[in-house]
Amino acid sequence: MSRHPAPDELLLDYAAGTLPEAPALAVALHVALDPTARQAVDRLNAVGGALIEGEAEASLGDIALERVMARLDGVTVEPRTAPAARRPGFEWAPPPLVPHLRPGMGWRRILGKFDEIRLDVPGDAYRVSLLRLEPGHGLPKHKHRGYEYTVCLQGGYTDETGSYSVGDFAIGPGAERHEPIADPGEPCIALIVVEKPIVLTGPWGRLFNPLVSRGWI
Amino acid sequence: MLSADEAADLIEAIAARQDRAAFASLFRHFAPRVKAFIMRGGTDAEAAQEVAQEALIMVWRKAASFDRSRASAATWIYTIARNKRIDLLRRSARPIDTEDWLVVYAPEGEEADKSVLAGQTYTRVKELLGGLSEDQLVVIRKAFFEDKTHTVIAEELKLPLGTVKSRIRLALGRLREALEKDES
Repeated sequence: MSRHPAPDELLLDYAAGTLPEAPALAVALHVALDPTARQAVDRLNAVGGALIEGEAEASLGDIALERVMARLDGVTVEPRTAPAARRPGFEWAPPPLVPHLRPGMGWRRILGKFDEIRLDVPGDAYRVSLLRLEPGHGLPKHKHRGYEYTVCLQGGYTDETGSYSVGDFAIGPGAERHEPIADPGEPCIALIVVEKPIVLTGPWGRLFNPLVSRGWI
Repeated sequence: MLSADEAADLIEAIAARQDRAAFASLFRHFAPRVKAFIMRGGTDAEAAQEVAQEALIMVWRKAASFDRSRASAATWIYTIARNKRIDLLRRSARPIDTEDWLVVYAPEGEEADKSVLAGQTYTRVKELLGGLSEDQLVVIRKAFFEDKTHTVIAEELKLPLGTVKSRIRLALGRLREALEKDES
């Protein structure tokens, strides 16, 4: 069992399909790496199955079935879907992350301290990044205005709230300041999903929003 | 009625030999249920019917990926219908690649990890849901039926977020305990 599991209410949002895509990616990675989380999601999906099964036997009408049957001719029964293959250079990336890794993507050094790959996950409300920290190195002390979801994918890190290793999930509400430092061993790689601050409006917004959206102010 | 085993047999028949009669039986059983399920969230009949039809066509396409040792037919079809709801209703402006969501990502090295729920019948899970308190049940139903996050549910019920979280945790804890007891 993971020492830092995702909270149940987030797993419920995930299984019910109500979580926006960016935090859903964080939960999907946690689930891919943590058997306990996966069992919890299996149970929740089974609740969904039971709720569907419990619905009344209303008819859709024979016409609906006929129309759908007519469409089947153009739809192939596909071979079993295999999980996405590991991507060279990104062997640490669990299958749900692989579709987000585009060709040519590479680490970018930020402030001379850590490496980042910005991921393009649809939805304006979140910033999604992969961060890589060398052992003993940390992120500058920072504070978030919204929620922050972190999943550790390689190595480990430690901050004021504890030590996190592969598969561990952290969720931080805004006001806490924290300073994660990578543990000894291989570099620490984590997926970070940060809820963007509210976009400023008015004449100053145009000036400040680019900075806000980059998380600089 | 269709038993869990019969439903699983039908999906496997589609995978093995593109069995159209098997598909028709599955459709008759599940399409109306998926439609009714989707309508509970306030979706109109036409859109709900589209979700149901598209979900069942996805069942045909992906039949070979169904694994009866991991999930019951109803559970698998639930996950497909959920993704179709996301595609067609909530994010209609920007369809997502449902297939990415469909693959069940098993933790690596967990070959032996088969779901205890695969063999569970609808009756058993329904029984367990029946064992939850009304407070807990309301939250679970709102999440699944009404397509709402726990944060939105708290706002709607005018409850502190912490209260909703603890209801969810209690409900899931009870399900876990009961199912682990079944297993042992």
